[in-house]
Amino acid sequence: MRRLLVLVAAAAVWAGGNTPAMAVKLGIVAFQMSAETHARTANAAKAAAEDKGWEVTLLNSAGSVPDHAAQIENLVQKGVDAILLAMGKPLQAEAQLAAAKAKKIPVVTVMSGTSPHTLFDVTVNEFEVGAKIGVYLLGLLDYKGNILMSRYEGHGGTKIRGRVMDIILEENSGVKVLGSHAMARTQSWREDVKAGMEALVLRHAGKFQAVWASFDGQAFVIDDILQAQGLKKGQVYLTGVDGGQEAFRRIRDPSSLMTATVAIPFELMGEAAVDALDDVLAGTPKSDITPGPYLFMDAVLVDANNVPAEGEWPW
Amino acid sequence: MKQRLRDWGTVLAAVALLAALALAAPGFAAPGNLLVIVKQASFLAILATGFTLALVAGELDLSVGQVATLASVVCAALVFAGIAWPLALLAGFLAALTCGLVSGLCVTRLAIPSLIATLAVGAIATGVAFLITGGIAYVGRFPPGLVQLGRGSLGPLPLPVLWLVLLLAAAAFLLKRTRTGAALLASGEAPDAARLAGIDVARMKLLGLLLAAACAGLCGLLLTAALASSSPTIANELLMRSIAAVLLGMTTIEPGRPNLAGTLVGVLVIQSLANGLTLLGLPYYVQDIALGLIMLASVGFSARLLQEAAFGGAR
Repeated sequence: MRRLLVLVAAAAVWAGGNTPAMAVKLGIVAFQMSAETHARTANAAKAAAEDKGWEVTLLNSAGSVPDHAAQIENLVQKGVDAILLAMGKPLQAEAQLAAAKAKKIPVVTVMSGTSPHTLFDVTVNEFEVGAKIGVYLLGLLDYKGNILMSRYEGHGGTKIRGRVMDIILEENSGVKVLGSHAMARTQSWREDVKAGMEALVLRHAGKFQAVWASFDGQAFVIDDILQAQGLKKGQVYLTGVDGGQEAFRRIRDPSSLMTATVAIPFELMGEAAVDALDDVLAGTPKSDITPGPYLFMDAVLVDANNVPAEGEWPW
Repeated sequence: MKQRLRDWGTVLAAVALLAALALAAPGFAAPGNLLVIVKQASFLAILATGFTLALVAGELDLSVGQVATLASVVCAALVFAGIAWPLALLAGFLAALTCGLVSGLCVTRLAIPSLIATLAVGAIATGVAFLITGGIAYVGRFPPGLVQLGRGSLGPLPLPVLWLVLLLAAAAFLLKRTRTGAALLASGEAPDAARLAGIDVARMKLLGLLLAAACAGLCGLLLTAALASSSPTIANELLMRSIAAVLLGMTTIEPGRPNLAGTLVGVLVIQSLANGLTLLGLPYYVQDIALGLIMLASVGFSARLLQEAAFGGAR
């Protein structure tokens, strides 16, 4: 035990003596690195910052709000020059972000919502994303038929997509929702989606022509359920939102029912957040970067017509 | 000398670790940072104190994280429903105590092993937390009086630290200065002998699990106040670290036995490590690996001591 602690201390001393002098110190906190979108954003931001010669401390809150708040507090104690939150929880970490602001540490968030203590949130316009995929899906159905929905109300973006879809359906009464499952769990969400959507798929077998999922992770689970039911591409349309390599692979795969996604440029958002912090640290007023609390990026609808080749991106 | 080293070895190693971090990590030893560490540690220490008390009574409470979450969610739901916050706090605390009572009755009346009973009660607590919240976090709209309990301070002392000190003083008084405490210890260490001595062992085990639930409730409520939010997983992540702290604590002061001072040392080591490694700029996975190694080392050490106690060192 003592030997172990001595080793840890020695590693700590070594690490302490190997940090570049005068480099900008950036703290990145990703809320849940096991979520692909969080990891893509945080890793891209880290790479972009390191390309600038910055010293980066990358932290993972592992889905824990108390840890999230403590990590931000520790970064403030470290005296970092800037903080970047990837899919963070600024409202829950309000006290810690206020402490950062008091120490004049600029905080930029990515897809986290806004806070009076942060500069702005790099995000996509979720209303636009919801409209893109919703109208696209109804177009595939020629504005008539039945659908199933897989929702998630616990995240701002997915919630907005669901609400936008509700409005689209309200205005296009030829399409009916036969069943809807709202995912509740965040840590065992795949099991939650599988149980809920499997029940809906079996109950309404043969009666629905499309499935709307609030994000791609849900769509992948549903795709596997539909394939297990013997359904083929085109028999049921399946859409999601996020657009990683797995989503593109499924859109290309003739045995998958995945039809389309809206690809959110997570890597570009991470890079944009770092660039924005670079500008802020260089003295550029925040209002010159973006006038409001958001810095919007464009999301791209991807289907069979524009799906990129393996390893490529649609931007 | 050898005995003393065995009793205090972990404490010395912890001091060496803190000294190494103080040397290597700029700002680690600053009073402000040390206060931040102690404040952050308070929540885990309160939970781990409860875990220790159950273990003192010879029972394992694996529901403490989920019970803390349930207390938090019940309180938040009532606050959002417009109930006065002191009443909401009381209701959250009572919800936690109910969990402890159910676990205790399962163990003492139905002879269900505490490992299984508390796992089941934890699952029920999680289910109820999701039932109440629908998976959605309560954020904002918490009365300032409630928030102050978790964010306020008495002079330079953050209030969570004060609550921890009061709890530890009460727990230490119970264990060291009262007949009930002695009965609790005897019931955990030698239940048959305790029974022969006329101690109501079942009652003591019920008390141990009730105290664990009470500490969990306190932890959940303070987290709600400190973060001004609640979610159906808010404290779940703390269980593993609580176990790690208690196991680490069992290697020191009273080696091989769950003890309050040892638990506090364990919590402080874990929290200092998270803070110190962040100040050093080391990434999150190094922190996970360090915590895992410490858990392995402490379990190995505790297991060896327990084996020595049981078999006089024979293998």
